[in-house]
Amino acid sequence: MGISWSNRRRNNHPHHHFLAPPPPPPPPPLPPYQEPTLYPATNPPPPPAPHPYHPAHAPYPVPPPQPPPQAPVNPYYYHSHGYNSCGYPNPMMGRFSYQFQYQPPYYANQAHGWPTAARQSQVGPPPPYVDHQSAKKVRNDVNVHKHTLKIEVDEENPDHVLVSFVFDALFDGSITVFYFAKEEPNCKFVPLFPEAYMPAKIPFKKGLGQKFRQPSGTGIDLGFYELDDLSKPSLGEDIFPLVISAETHQPSSSNDGHLDDPVSNTSAHMQITQAVLEKNNDDLFQVKVIRQILWVDGVRYELREIYGIGNSAAEGFEDSDPGKECVICMSEPKDTAVLPCRHMCMCGECAKELRLQSNKCPICRQPIEELIEIKINSGDQ
Amino acid sequence: MASGNLPRRIVKETQRLLSEPAPGISASPAEDNMRYFNVMILGPSQSPYEGGVFKLELFLPEDYPMSAPKLGRICLDILKDKWSPALQIRTVLLSIQALLSAPNPDDPLSDNIAKHWKADETEAVETAKEWTRLYASDG
Repeated sequence: MGISWSNRRRNNHPHHHFLAPPPPPPPPPLPPYQEPTLYPATNPPPPPAPHPYHPAHAPYPVPPPQPPPQAPVNPYYYHSHGYNSCGYPNPMMGRFSYQFQYQPPYYANQAHGWPTAARQSQVGPPPPYVDHQSAKKVRNDVNVHKHTLKIEVDEENPDHVLVSFVFDALFDGSITVFYFAKEEPNCKFVPLFPEAYMPAKIPFKKGLGQKFRQPSGTGIDLGFYELDDLSKPSLGEDIFPLVISAETHQPSSSNDGHLDDPVSNTSAHMQITQAVLEKNNDDLFQVKVIRQILWVDGVRYELREIYGIGNSAAEGFEDSDPGKECVICMSEPKDTAVLPCRHMCMCGECAKELRLQSNKCPICRQPIEELIEIKINSGDQ
Repeated sequence: MASGNLPRRIVKETQRLLSEPAPGISASPAEDNMRYFNVMILGPSQSPYEGGVFKLELFLPEDYPMSAPKLGRICLDILKDKWSPALQIRTVLLSIQALLSAPNPDDPLSDNIAKHWKADETEAVETAKEWTRLYASDG
């Protein structure tokens, strides 16, 4: 499988770093969706193609074994970039996310197929009219702010590095940091090299905006791994160099969860953050989060960002704010996102109107497969 | 025509065009038809059209923004198959201004001028400057 852990340390001390040449640059992402069109940036420019990293296969071929009776067949879990990463205090931060249940016909034979489906649909016939779906909220009991994830040098142990990040938790729970962990069924993670680093659970108390840092002395010496292995997932997207598992236990639940106890894993509420590590010009490791997964009540949800949700009506709609209004009528707050491209840009009425005339996203012109209505009212729950 | 039955979006776009005009672009609605705009675009600096004032007429059809504004003969994809209702009067005019900065002889309105441009760009640019002086200047 190509990953190696050696007993001989790769020499990557900063003052010797010329001995360890920097890795070749990672393969370029898929080219962003480019239009040959003049498109002045009054609106923000279209974001890059949504899946710069995914392989062409379904990342998780094994469906959860015990889906609840009404479980969505193709559950995608959306969360707001604005919720997690913006610094202002928001009592709702990280608490809710959105999931829709509609399964379009394209996905019939695919467990997690929309990246592939999106490509196929470029050449297929236009999709049938799809009325838009309302998002279902899935409460996220614990949320690692992925943009805060860092690798820091352990001052007391300079060869070793520690993981740090900011997270929110609605209940007490624990954090487990894995290196080169393979995802197995039931959202269980197994380290490939337990002899190099044995993951340990670190408990936390509930609270928003908490800082997590591995205790000094519990870090890892990344010098034993090849930079190339650290910078990408392997086995498709089953193994990631860095995996953070954050799980909470609701007060009513009595399980206290052991790593090797699959039963506890099916009842726990977990958020998994999968990342790669790249060296920057200063010879320091930088964390790049590739994917987040939510495991709730035995159902696995993948987190994807919705573009423009941070500018939506969540923080109050003012008539004069061009960032929050529907791009079509410029009057109503936008509350509808387009799938698969994930541009939140329209109000529900205009989305319906648009679908009568066009199957292209107004922002990026990718074909529309679904519309998802997302209401973010703080008084909602 | 009163603005009472004018879609809110057109009213807003008009207000924003008047209150925050894009540099080098002016667009003002006709008094008797709020869907009809008189447009002026200044020739971009460092282009053959510098110093010129280019007047256009722009009309918003009944189903705007689901279909593109109507302009004169301009070969610009966003006015045709690449139109998106997320584009606006402002973005269309900025695109036209950008087209003056970077003419595209591979997708020309006039084949003859495109041929000239490709065969002898220096001479074509001189012609463009000359015509700007003759036909697009105040004097």
